[in-house]
Amino acid sequence: MAERRKYKKRYCKYCESKVEFMDYKDAALLKNTLSERFKIMPRRLTGNCKRHQDMATIAIKRARAAAIIPYTISRKEVVINPFEIIGR
Amino acid sequence: MRYYENLVIVKPTLTQEEIVSSINVIEQIITDTGAEITAQNAMGMRKLAYPIEKNLRGYFQVIYYKAEPSSISEIERRFRINEELLRFVTIKYDSKKEVKAWENAVSKLNTPVKSEEPVAQETPVETPTEPAVQETPAAQE
Repeated sequence: MAERRKYKKRYCKYCESKVEFMDYKDAALLKNTLSERFKIMPRRLTGNCKRHQDMATIAIKRARAAAIIPYTISRKEVVINPFEIIGR
Repeated sequence: MRYYENLVIVKPTLTQEEIVSSINVIEQIITDTGAEITAQNAMGMRKLAYPIEKNLRGYFQVIYYKAEPSSISEIERRFRINEELLRFVTIKYDSKKEVKAWENAVSKLNTPVKSEEPVAQETPVETPTEPAVQETPAAQE
């Protein structure tokens, strides 16, 4: 239940901004669906709709292969840079 | 002909001229198989999200092109031989929405200079408004 409260507002942010196609190079777009350790967040927590969640997962996996987003992050790096990598 | 996109990461240890020449080699690999390059986007030197072959940075280049589906395996085979490439990602744009996105990206890249000029023109237009704002307090006085 603690997790539920954390993500109280549940609506699809991609539907709100009317995203038709998700580009894997645009890391700022994918930020919504990523946890602070760059895991893909489940739909029940982010509130994404099914269509956009599917688009996001494909884009995230492509971005990982292209070294735009890390696969995982170690414990030390989490403290130093939450989402700092994306800006660069 | 189908729509494709290739992201290519070139080694950061090369000098600028070597990077340009290696990208020319990559272009040739693509055009040799009968594909036509429509747009290119140089993202430039970027920090990699994780080290690849002990490199922390890389030169990113995105190439949009139309190609026959059968030629992709040949392009990828040649990319693997090339030692200056750290990584490549090939993406197919298949459905109607994806093709639209591809066309949008290409048209954006082919007209970047024109879009920048109006912005530069707008800024001088904005500057006269500032004195106008300064004048209004004078009028109030």
